[in-house]
Amino acid sequence: MTATLARARWRVGVEQAGALVTRSVVNTWRQPGSWIPSIVFPLMMAAVYSAQFERAIDLPGFPDVDSFVQFILPASILQGISFNAGEAGTELALDIESGFFDRLIASPVARQSILIGRMGGGAVFSGGLAAALMVVFALVGAPIEGGIVSAVAIVLIAAWLSLAIGGFSIAVALRTGSSEATQSLFPLTFMMIFVSSAFFPTGLMSGWYQSVAEVNPFTLIVDPTRRLALDGFSFADFGRALFWSGVVASVSLSLAYRMYLGRLRRS
Amino acid sequence: MRSPTPRTDPVSAFGPTVFEIGRRSLIRIVRMPAILVPTIVMPVFFVIGFTGSFEGVTRIEGFPTEDFINWVGPYALVQTAAFAGIGAAGTMATDLDNGFIDRLLVAPIRRSAIIFGPLAYTAMRALIPITLVLLLSIPQGGSLPGGLLGLFIAVVGGMGGALMLGSMGLAVVLRIGHIRAMAIVQIVAFAFLFPSIGQVPLPLLSGWLHTVARFNPATNLIRMTRQGFIGDVSWAETWPGLLVIAIGLGVFTGWARYELDQRAP
Amino acid sequence: MTSHPVEATGLVRRFGDLTAVAGIDLAVEEGEIFGFLGPNGAGKSTTVRMLVTLLRPSGGSARVAGHDIVKNPTAVRRAIGVALQDAAIDPLMTGNELLRLQAVLHGLGRKESATRTSDLLERVGLTAAADRRVGQYSGGMRRRLDLALALVHRPMVLFLDEPTTGLDPTSRLAVWEEVRILNAEGTTVFLTTQYLEEADQLAGRIAIIDDGRIVREGDPRSLKEAVGDPTLRVEVSDAAMMETARAVLATFGEERPARVGRLAIGLAGGAGRLADVVRALDDQGVPVAHIELDSPSLDDVFADATGRRLEGANSAQPE
Repeated sequence: MTATLARARWRVGVEQAGALVTRSVVNTWRQPGSWIPSIVFPLMMAAVYSAQFERAIDLPGFPDVDSFVQFILPASILQGISFNAGEAGTELALDIESGFFDRLIASPVARQSILIGRMGGGAVFSGGLAAALMVVFALVGAPIEGGIVSAVAIVLIAAWLSLAIGGFSIAVALRTGSSEATQSLFPLTFMMIFVSSAFFPTGLMSGWYQSVAEVNPFTLIVDPTRRLALDGFSFADFGRALFWSGVVASVSLSLAYRMYLGRLRRS
Repeated sequence: MRSPTPRTDPVSAFGPTVFEIGRRSLIRIVRMPAILVPTIVMPVFFVIGFTGSFEGVTRIEGFPTEDFINWVGPYALVQTAAFAGIGAAGTMATDLDNGFIDRLLVAPIRRSAIIFGPLAYTAMRALIPITLVLLLSIPQGGSLPGGLLGLFIAVVGGMGGALMLGSMGLAVVLRIGHIRAMAIVQIVAFAFLFPSIGQVPLPLLSGWLHTVARFNPATNLIRMTRQGFIGDVSWAETWPGLLVIAIGLGVFTGWARYELDQRAP
Repeated sequence: MTSHPVEATGLVRRFGDLTAVAGIDLAVEEGEIFGFLGPNGAGKSTTVRMLVTLLRPSGGSARVAGHDIVKNPTAVRRAIGVALQDAAIDPLMTGNELLRLQAVLHGLGRKESATRTSDLLERVGLTAAADRRVGQYSGGMRRRLDLALALVHRPMVLFLDEPTTGLDPTSRLAVWEEVRILNAEGTTVFLTTQYLEEADQLAGRIAIIDDGRIVREGDPRSLKEAVGDPTLRVEVSDAAMMETARAVLATFGEERPARVGRLAIGLAGGAGRLADVVRALDDQGVPVAHIELDSPSLDDVFADATGRRLEGANSAQPE
């Protein structure tokens, strides 16, 4: 009897989370201003860096690539995701500012599904974003050498990673309840991406900076993802990218959850 | 009690109103310091990050300096100051969101005070990254052959960038009326500062970027700011930068004023 | 200078295809509390936003404190105090800081600002909370601060847009009391509200707005009287005397539907005839258990003008 009840409650929870994920995706989609930058911005960076550093690919120590565009693909996806993930937090902060969040809390919605909805929506969107970016790169002459399997793997990594990054902006949104403060987080993520192998190979860096970049989780995620794109699919690389994203996710999501409990207590 | 204080000039004094509106933004950052974190972290990142990530490019043949910091430091200065400037729009966006702007709009003040108040705050705020970049460049091997004049020009460049982007931020926020406008302005700022001579000198840029960077106004601004770090200050490298600042400020403050008028008569 | 602190002629505001305010004429008398009553979305706030120079009219004209709202907005702004709906108050600032900012914005000197600030804080009972952030204030405290902010420059005309919406009854009474005092001191008050009771209690004269138009205007009493006769309800303790009572009452007015055991009529001539009714029932020996006279309410006025009820329609909405 109780087992049936528990299962029913579980199902309701899943349905509610599903509805909230859909709301979040639809909401984002209907406001192009909130997601167009997450495509345009990484493409712009890729275009500029390629024209700027084209001559650098001949330097000793640079990985074996045909062009800088090919090298920078994972960085672009990573950037797009981080942009999107930041939006998830900003949306939540706006919900808090407008009082919608309190109304959700007061409603009989399973409370966890509020967070799951926001972040799930971000994950779905990030996967789509990764796919869109790969298509654009293929069109400008930097296709995924690993083919469709690698491409699918990269989409999955992107969705998973967006939860990891989104957790931080959700945490800030819950803690401060301010969209202004949540938005200021975006540059910080950008910097983290910067101090990694995303834009330039760690082999060409030096000193302590190089050591930091080598252990930056983003390097640990970008390098195997790049190999998936350049060399073809391998379970080892796929697993590595998922594992390190998971490490980041466990930190950010538990932080977000703590902030969430804190806000529930305060409201 | 009832008769209003008689005044010949119906408009409140400009100076004090600008000061008070600017001061309010300062109060906000003291109470919510999280807003300021990027303004402090970004300079650190740009100075250390750009030098760290891309120092390898000085090995490309024909790069004009061996200390990448002297090349990229001034770029970091303009960039971080500009981003600090956009912060001014954050207060405005919040005000539009919660309706505080109405309080300013129904006050008998000059409309321009509503624009210049946040800009005064922008100027103050821009000093943070400018100072940080200059200080952090020293341990990275930065030098200043252009002397005090070079330093002064660099501060002017950073401040100009901050005020330009700050006023553009205000205009866009007033137009869109939403905090997201800030992301848009940040992207526009990138769109200008990025395809320029910020990281790699003009002769080394290939194809379309070479053309864009050549005519990009940000190139003039960066060149002006940079000159004291790689040599002497010259008028020829200074006036194009000043011109960009003057035009940018004129256009964007004018635009912001226009958008404000659209919101209320 | 004109004798009307607020005067509007054919004021219109369109938003795209939607006409929010469709030609409003107003003349507020000096020293009165003018109530602007209507349901949500009727055009109250749009009208106020035009009058306080926050919104440009699409047509018509208006003068506030003798100044044209379009040609001379700054002079209007100097003469008016405004407390808008959703009291927009920066939650990060303290009450003290906000009042000082407001004082400087209205051209008061530094010293004058300081004295005025402490006077006003005292007046609205916020002295103890002066240095706390507004974000920690209760709804009632915010509204009182908002009122104080609107008073910084001793305005001639005070605009209050739904000053008590969302407040608890105690806070509401406090705001009403303050508005009455202000008015007694000579400030003309222009008040919008969706609460019948508020308009009834405070306003000397009201205009009822619906769908962008003014549908009734006048002092609450004559508006109510104009709707029709008050309803007289009588409960007879002896069921046998019902028919006698009915016959007596019929001479005073038309019968109206009533609960079982009761009689109701529209009392022609109003409350003045009540004594006559009682006397006549007594003459016929009708034992009366209960008698009550119900005057038409402003809601009846609203219903008479629009065919809809205001009461209940608003309370169903959270904001």
